[in-house]
Amino acid sequence: MTAIPLWIHEPAHKVFYLRLGRKTDDERSLAMELSLEPSGVFRIRYGAMNSALKEILSSDHRMRSVSLSILSGMLLVALIPGLLSCQRDPNAKSLTLAVNSGVEGDALKQAALDYEAQTGVHINIAEFPYANLFEKELIDLGARSRAYDLIMLDDPWFPKFASQHLLTELTPLLQQRGLKGPDEDFVATSIALGREPYRTGSLYAMPYVGNSQLLFYRKDLFAKHNLPEPATWNDALAAAKIISELETNGAPGGGKIYGYVMRAAQGNAAVADFMPIFWAFGGEMLDANYQPAVNSAEGIAALKFMLELGKYSPPGYASFNADEVGAHLLQGTAAMSINWPAWISSFNDPAKSRVIGNMEFATLPGAKNPGQAEIGNWLLAIPRDAKNKDAAFDFLLWATSAEQMKRSAIRGNPPTRKSLFNDPELVAKFPAYPTQLRSLESSRPRPRTPHWNEIENVFGIYLSKANSGELSAEDAMNQANTEIGKILERAK
Amino acid sequence: MSEPSNSGVGYRVPGAGSDRRLAYLLVAPTVAVLVALSIYPLIHVVTLSLQVTSGGASRWSLGNFARLFSDHFFLAALGHTLVYAACALTLEFFLGLGLAVLMNNQLRGRSLFRAALLVPMMLPTVVAGVVWRLMLNPNFGAVNGTLRSWGLNTAALTWTSSPRLAMLSIVAVDVWQWTPFMFLILLAGLQAIPQEPYEAACMDGSSAWQTFRHVTLPLLKPAILVALLLRTMDLLRVFDQVFILTEGGPGFATETISLYIYRTAFRFSDFGYAAAMSFVLLIVTNIVSAFYIRVLQAREA
Repeated sequence: MTAIPLWIHEPAHKVFYLRLGRKTDDERSLAMELSLEPSGVFRIRYGAMNSALKEILSSDHRMRSVSLSILSGMLLVALIPGLLSCQRDPNAKSLTLAVNSGVEGDALKQAALDYEAQTGVHINIAEFPYANLFEKELIDLGARSRAYDLIMLDDPWFPKFASQHLLTELTPLLQQRGLKGPDEDFVATSIALGREPYRTGSLYAMPYVGNSQLLFYRKDLFAKHNLPEPATWNDALAAAKIISELETNGAPGGGKIYGYVMRAAQGNAAVADFMPIFWAFGGEMLDANYQPAVNSAEGIAALKFMLELGKYSPPGYASFNADEVGAHLLQGTAAMSINWPAWISSFNDPAKSRVIGNMEFATLPGAKNPGQAEIGNWLLAIPRDAKNKDAAFDFLLWATSAEQMKRSAIRGNPPTRKSLFNDPELVAKFPAYPTQLRSLESSRPRPRTPHWNEIENVFGIYLSKANSGELSAEDAMNQANTEIGKILERAK
Repeated sequence: MSEPSNSGVGYRVPGAGSDRRLAYLLVAPTVAVLVALSIYPLIHVVTLSLQVTSGGASRWSLGNFARLFSDHFFLAALGHTLVYAACALTLEFFLGLGLAVLMNNQLRGRSLFRAALLVPMMLPTVVAGVVWRLMLNPNFGAVNGTLRSWGLNTAALTWTSSPRLAMLSIVAVDVWQWTPFMFLILLAGLQAIPQEPYEAACMDGSSAWQTFRHVTLPLLKPAILVALLLRTMDLLRVFDQVFILTEGGPGFATETISLYIYRTAFRFSDFGYAAAMSFVLLIVTNIVSAFYIRVLQAREA
């Protein structure tokens, strides 16, 4: 496709049109419109060549066309960032959101459309896959390029953003609106995530989606073998052993049912599945002096327990991620696992599940300490250098209101408000909500440190080494402790 | 039209000046792209690698390079990359050479074989990675399923989950996907060899092995070096299939240098250290490439 860009300059409105490829009268051409409004707002719109554009592009008297070489085209591309950064009208009602591509981001996108229809505030969405969202946001906020007015944050990322002072403090914005603080209806463990320091400090983010881990188990198999719902990890181990030994041919397609299925791939997976065991056994990653303490007697005992549970997990679990764990549970080849609420709906989907109506959800078992789930909430925050803080905060408050959050919940996102977990309509649709609320209220965050990504990475490597049989529990924890120490030392 | 030139040159091509200007103009986009996408980033990487950030402030330092030598994760990742590249390159070369020699003969159904051989190379690496990840799943994967149907005990064959088999698995997938590339270049090289040396060798009563060793190999050398050079550069910076197959696991057993650089830069936001590692990878790749190019030129001289 030869591209001879054609430019038209309309001095009155400062609108430029760029045709990309083919001919003006060809519907398959792409057209791009760049407009610079008198207020200073710069917009880019593009789409297929339509009749209106065709008319503009082919009407001779309005047209000053220049045939440009590729070089000039490049020059223009080089100019675009410069034009984009020109000062916008501070009163312009337009917001840009950075969202996660997935069910959580979809709900926020839908909310943005509703908000736009109600208020006329134009909302642009920048959508990124989970793996890229963190780096995009951190680089943008760090470089102060002011691209976003509101960002979605996974809660383990929050300490990094807060410690670098990249977010806007929300309390003054609440006070301007006559509010003393965030609504009491938010679950305490969720709102605590957006404070720096944790729970006690100033508020920099509000919780939007309230996930926390649950213990998934097959109630039909537990009933068959007269097993109680696991209240402790020892109950869970005993049940895993009995099911593995007795259900050697009980899977829907024939074949063995494993008592437990672990997610122990290097990195986030292994750490997320281990933390609830580690905490229940009394382990702490960092001690009161912010020094690593994973190789405590409690920590080593917890890892030994994980390896014991791994004996009743399908072979190869040391490389399992969420997909493999989900597949085993849906195919009926595993009886128990720690998992996230997003998986709940698939168990009653006949297209995916061979265990319809048989999956039950419980809060996590305890050991020395009561059971605690890892919390995993999506937060909404406003960058410190955002252009439209007030408009962004209005939208933030609106999106996290009970009414709007209920709509997000119907779209499949667990809320962060107590009233919604008890809402009869939602509970009828999501029967696990009361259990989810108990799990969320007793949950804890991953250790709050700006270096969590690095720590999780090395901790995951050593957990994986232990689960794949390369290192003993003691060696794995001792080496992990040394490496975590190095990360903290380097950060000083 | 320009004025007649009064330089020492005795003749003038009409329009030579505008030809030259056109030449510059035509080259300019390439130069601009090269500067924007290669030269500027390279300079930027070097400056980044020489800066250490602590407490929000950056200062000039060789700290990133010093850290490389005490970082056993870096050394392990470098080791994995070299082992991976060496194993995959050797296997791909011998398999590719064997196949090329085989397909260079008049075989029945040769064109069909050739087409079939090229299929793996045409799949996007990511697709090949995902398919192999499923096939290597110890419980419902096709590989262990087939072995079980032959009556073999596959309990120990956990492929990507086993510290011992994981490296073998990723090398096998690379060999599966990229042997065709080696094959293709070597086959082109073989077909470019004229018939005469073979006829002469035949007249001298040389055996098939002697002909291969003393006629085919020396004449194929340029093609061999080009194939090895291209594959080596690709293998040293391998990222996508390893990321999909093992994510560097289990327990760092298959973490390659590119994966570690990616994590350091984009997960841990330590761009200076990542830049230092990238720079070392660039130097390693350059040394290896320079070696190949020197051998190639030595032959031509």
